[in-house]
Amino acid sequence: MADVLALIDANNFYASCEQAFDPGLIGRPVVVLSNNDGCVVSRSSEARQLGIAMGKPYFQIAKQLARHGVVVRSSNYALYGDMSQRLMSSLEPFVAELEVYSIDEAFARLPRPRNGELRTWAGELRSRIRHNLGLPIAIGLAPSKVLAKLANRIAKGDHRHAGVFDLGRENSHDPWLEQTPVEEIWGVGRQLSRWCRLRGIANARQLRDMGSGELQAKAGVVGLRLQLELAGVSCLPLEEGPTAKRETCVSRSFSRPICHELELRKAVASYVVRAAEKLRRQQQRSGRLTVFARTSPFTSGFYSQAASTALPVASNDTNVLLQAALPLVALVYRPHKRFAKAGVLLQELQGQDQLQHHLWTTLTAEQQQRREALMQSIDQLNHRYGSGTVTWGACGLHNPWMMRREQLSRAATTRLRELPTAWAQ
Amino acid sequence: MALSTVAAGFPSPADDYIDVGIDLNEVLIRHPSSTFFLRVSGDSMVEAGIQDGDLLVVDRSLEARPGQVVVAILDGAFTLKRLARHHGRLRLEAANSAYPPLELHQCGDVQIWGVAIHVIHALVRHG
Repeated sequence: MADVLALIDANNFYASCEQAFDPGLIGRPVVVLSNNDGCVVSRSSEARQLGIAMGKPYFQIAKQLARHGVVVRSSNYALYGDMSQRLMSSLEPFVAELEVYSIDEAFARLPRPRNGELRTWAGELRSRIRHNLGLPIAIGLAPSKVLAKLANRIAKGDHRHAGVFDLGRENSHDPWLEQTPVEEIWGVGRQLSRWCRLRGIANARQLRDMGSGELQAKAGVVGLRLQLELAGVSCLPLEEGPTAKRETCVSRSFSRPICHELELRKAVASYVVRAAEKLRRQQQRSGRLTVFARTSPFTSGFYSQAASTALPVASNDTNVLLQAALPLVALVYRPHKRFAKAGVLLQELQGQDQLQHHLWTTLTAEQQQRREALMQSIDQLNHRYGSGTVTWGACGLHNPWMMRREQLSRAATTRLRELPTAWAQ
Repeated sequence: MALSTVAAGFPSPADDYIDVGIDLNEVLIRHPSSTFFLRVSGDSMVEAGIQDGDLLVVDRSLEARPGQVVVAILDGAFTLKRLARHHGRLRLEAANSAYPPLELHQCGDVQIWGVAIHVIHALVRHG
């Protein structure tokens, strides 16, 4: 029998991770805030039932949250990243192929059993993940990726489905497609959905059945594929394994605007340190470095500038990258501008193995090795004692523009000093 | 291309026998994705060889069986106990006579979070 595609994702992933390592939060309303404690990005089901909306700025609802006794947490990326890896590797043995699509969701392919029934499989998978990781998941099953995503949405939308919906077992897809607004279809962006609405196409069933010519004229081959996928013809393949990254970016919004060049330099320097760490972890080197900075797009006099430089030899050495990046800050900086965000982009990444040898460097092989050993020790120290334990003078100390994470929980799964306590009392 | 770095002089006679060393993760952890570390606080499990400040390795994928040391959720906190069968009923016991056992059928809401599979006790404390 034909294969089935599944979209498996964790419900309220961030909030669920917080609850998994703080038993005091089980059954209580929890919200997780975005960077800089900006707005609500994840809600436990208890918080959702209180009517707390997604995306609401924290300062607007802080009082409401306090009144309801809602627990507020800053985004704890160390914890979520580790739990994501655990989730994905736990899914692996249950499926034939897995494509990790985002931090909390994955597409999978699996064979449909002879009797066609996947409920037992899905139930077993859900209770395994719940038991082993403490995470609730939802599973959508269908003949194509677009439909699997749609089925997942149905699985989560009604508790009677118990987190599993198999579109392939339904006699007709039509009623399910009809209850899916075009805006909710995977791959339909704001522009296309607006275009659909103008033509009276409001749901997935109507989009599937509209004239292909018209859709192709608007959205090209992407539109045709979308229509086929909605009709249950799989044409988007699973992408297996993480494709080696071609570039890596570290950028942050500041908790308050930056006006001084020195402050901008410190911010950029700290992003370079972070990006270089990332490269070393990915065992890659960068051949080109770009620094960018911009003011807020919501204020008048919007300003955005980038500057780029090629590195003589691809590198992941923080010193080398800092030396390349810091002169670029002067090029993007403008006096009297209130910078809201800056970042560093490392491009032309190459693997360690394809390293073109050091014919150009001024360092001897031994000096080079010592530099690499130094970077390694710094990474290990930062891993062990917390990020930022060892850093570079260029980054400065105690920077007021740094990310606000006032309600951060512990890195309960990745840091020895922040482990949860098992009480023996 | 040779794999090792180019070196002048004779190659080390041990080059072909280099092993990767002992990885404690392999020794202690069978199910990496469901294994977590917790820090012990308190003395209620001393007779089971688990002391204050020890590092506990907990596997959540295992089904708890009587006789095993488990992490249970009690009153919103991770609590370390031994799961035991007593007169046909399950209960949570401390491994220290100063602490009374806890009958499971008497307390409504107890959840076993995971099974403790190893305890790491430092004989010399660093720092």
